[in-house]
Amino acid sequence: MKITAAPPELDRRAFIISVLKGSVAGSLLLIYPMGGGDASDMLETSEMAGLPEEIPGIREQPYDIHAQRFAFIVDITRCIGCGSCCVADKREYNVPDGYYRTWVERYTKDFDDQVWVDCPNGGLDGYQHPRSDIDIQVRDTFFVPKLCNMCRETPCTQVCPVGATFTTPDGFVLMDSDRCVGCGYCIQACPYSSRFLNPVTKTAEKCTWCYHRVRKGLLPACVEVCPTGARKFGSLNDKNSEVYKILKGPGVLTVLKESMGTWPALYYLGARLEVI
Amino acid sequence: MSNLHEGATMLVSNFVLPNDLHVHWSMMIVLYPYITGLVDGAFIIGALYYLFDVKTLKPVARFSLLFALAFLLCATIPLLLHLGRPERNLNMLLTPNPSSAMAGFGYIYAVSMGVLTFIVVFVYRPDMVELKQRSRGVVKLICRLLTFDCDDLSPRAMNLDARIIKILMGIGIPVAAVLHGYVGFIFGGVKANPTWSTPLMPVIFLFSACVSGISAIVLAYIVIRKITGKPIDGPCIVTCIKTLTGFFILAFSFEMLEVFSHSYLRSGYHHMVAGLLNGPLAESFWLWQVKICSGIPLVLLTVMAFIKLRQSWYTLLAAAVSAILLLQVFIMRWNVVIGGQLMSKSSRGYTVFHPEWFDKEGIVTVIVVMLIPFVILFVLGKIFPFWADERKAEC
Amino acid sequence: MISNYEFRLIAVAAIIVAATGLGMVVKARLIPDSFGLHGHYRAEAIDAEARRPIRHGTNASCLKCHPYEAASHLAGRHKTISCEFCHGPYADHVRDGKKMGALPVKKDAEITTLCLRCHNTEIKARAQTVIKTVAMPGHLETQQVKTTHTCNQCHHVHAPLKYINRAKQITGITGAQS
Repeated sequence: MKITAAPPELDRRAFIISVLKGSVAGSLLLIYPMGGGDASDMLETSEMAGLPEEIPGIREQPYDIHAQRFAFIVDITRCIGCGSCCVADKREYNVPDGYYRTWVERYTKDFDDQVWVDCPNGGLDGYQHPRSDIDIQVRDTFFVPKLCNMCRETPCTQVCPVGATFTTPDGFVLMDSDRCVGCGYCIQACPYSSRFLNPVTKTAEKCTWCYHRVRKGLLPACVEVCPTGARKFGSLNDKNSEVYKILKGPGVLTVLKESMGTWPALYYLGARLEVI
Repeated sequence: MSNLHEGATMLVSNFVLPNDLHVHWSMMIVLYPYITGLVDGAFIIGALYYLFDVKTLKPVARFSLLFALAFLLCATIPLLLHLGRPERNLNMLLTPNPSSAMAGFGYIYAVSMGVLTFIVVFVYRPDMVELKQRSRGVVKLICRLLTFDCDDLSPRAMNLDARIIKILMGIGIPVAAVLHGYVGFIFGGVKANPTWSTPLMPVIFLFSACVSGISAIVLAYIVIRKITGKPIDGPCIVTCIKTLTGFFILAFSFEMLEVFSHSYLRSGYHHMVAGLLNGPLAESFWLWQVKICSGIPLVLLTVMAFIKLRQSWYTLLAAAVSAILLLQVFIMRWNVVIGGQLMSKSSRGYTVFHPEWFDKEGIVTVIVVMLIPFVILFVLGKIFPFWADERKAEC
Repeated sequence: MISNYEFRLIAVAAIIVAATGLGMVVKARLIPDSFGLHGHYRAEAIDAEARRPIRHGTNASCLKCHPYEAASHLAGRHKTISCEFCHGPYADHVRDGKKMGALPVKKDAEITTLCLRCHNTEIKARAQTVIKTVAMPGHLETQQVKTTHTCNQCHHVHAPLKYINRAKQITGITGAQS
């Protein structure tokens, strides 16, 4: 029997198969520079000369979004509570007052191992004076910087009803502020309280590990300004990076709220049991 | 030397994480489950009559459908008032995230609106045919639309109608269960919040929804009949109260089981839950939700179940119990939604919630949003008669 | 043989199915094109975030145009401190390689406040292996200067031990540190 034209069912099937094979997706890649752009089209050349690369390997080649792994390590033994990170973050993103993408907490311990935690204004003003509101003999004080944990099993992206927050193929949990309806579900779902509702844009917001800087081969703003090296960031593809050596080394690294099963990409060095 | 993680010692500094100070889900999010709960409970009454042939419920069956419809029409209002960017609400229909319970809202709501609207249309078709013959102009046009422009009231057509109603009811029950159950899962699926994350949450929400809906029907029936000077059908009230008793015992048991499990298992963040219920929520939970609004109804319902009462007393107690239970379910929603957010994720402290009067999600807004369904119900009552005994034909 | 009424019901059902189908077509048209490429989100949003203009530079970008400060800053203990922390972000100062605004220079009591953010020993939290801390006004009393002095009256802000070491060299006090 001679078939003059493909029956409609075959055409449909072929189309679906081609979609599944990703050819449609592939052709879209030609139209949209989906993470295929490199750092050079993100920075002016003159700027690039003045801003040397801080994350090796980002600028040399086109950015392969599927082949990146980054880690952020916070070393509590080195944090001095200066609050530079909080100030830099607020300036980098014009964060509204009263909301924080990153903050530094102060843990004060007395001689009964009782822990008192405070965080005045998110640590933006630094910590200049001991606590005057509690009457204890201070045995020890330390600071804990906190920011988005970039969970690998992300509870926030799981609950977003419209797909406005998502994990990129290179491991960053980002916000699509044009899509967010401001329902606040992601804010409820985050176990680390990293998220807030921006009162100006009325959409959810959080720390993004300065994705826009990392894509240009620069360190996140808070890592950039930290004077003591309490915040460390790097690519795990770079075997000479500090974070690679720490992660692969023998020391003890912890994460926050491990029992939640979020598998954070933010690690803590020197975090004691009382840090939650 | 005290234990580092002993619950009480963790709460000493009352440390609230900087982003936890603000309570994001406010009174509109308390109201939304309350409204969909009323819809569910009212729908149960209708389903018991139309699908399960509980004949004693005939007096309130049609009214309960209209009641459910009036409230379902208003279900989106609290959500739109809550959203930071309500103009983007269509995103929920365009790109619903399959892993998000909240994304279900758009389609589940649409389907349940469709099912309930058609049930009402089919139930009231004989009334609409009669109204069409009596009216002119726009009203006549609406009636033509609602009767599919057909005056056929023959036994064959009526039998078909009855079958269609049964099928729609059969679809409607699981749809209604999902409509409110998914709200329970919105909370139950949040592992970051110790009072919310429990598999019992959808179950608790569903059973207390049925409690609130049935109470609303009972109270509305008694009040409207008394105001309009019409008699109250005793057996109907008895059946409603018996159903209410069953659902309330289930709802209360699960609520208490939840609290008891926490206090027994003492896992991870138990101290936060205990600290919440015995601290900021002590009055609103133990005194109001449990002792007053659950304890008194339990006593009254026991009396009504075991002691033979004159109908006037029974009706009075039924109205009282219904009013208290309506309050109980509202307080329970408040304690879950707002109470749950008082706990900081620092595991070390609680924030405070100040309801505003004139806010987008304020007290005045709550009152107005709760009044709108009654206005709609009033308008609906002008078109679709509430009570079967106002019509001569069988409904 | 279906009746008039049954026919109308079937017609209504058909209208509902057709409306649903139409709705699905409309929905497909309204979803952004890049949605679903990498996951359940608009892939364009990744690029949108990556193209956000940066506000902070790096110390290298500041020191490139300020060689005098570079010389002392990079030679001293404060080389890890960000210029932008005290002076403000790069983007407020330079655009397209050209200066477009002046950044503030701190003075007097402002400087002391900034110094004490890090160097205050009062809260007993800063490990001496990480940073040297002092108590005020004890430090001034120990160094036998007036307690109204601000930090920069003895310390070069960019290289805090620069003048101290020079003074020790001049006066012959041993144990000069860099």
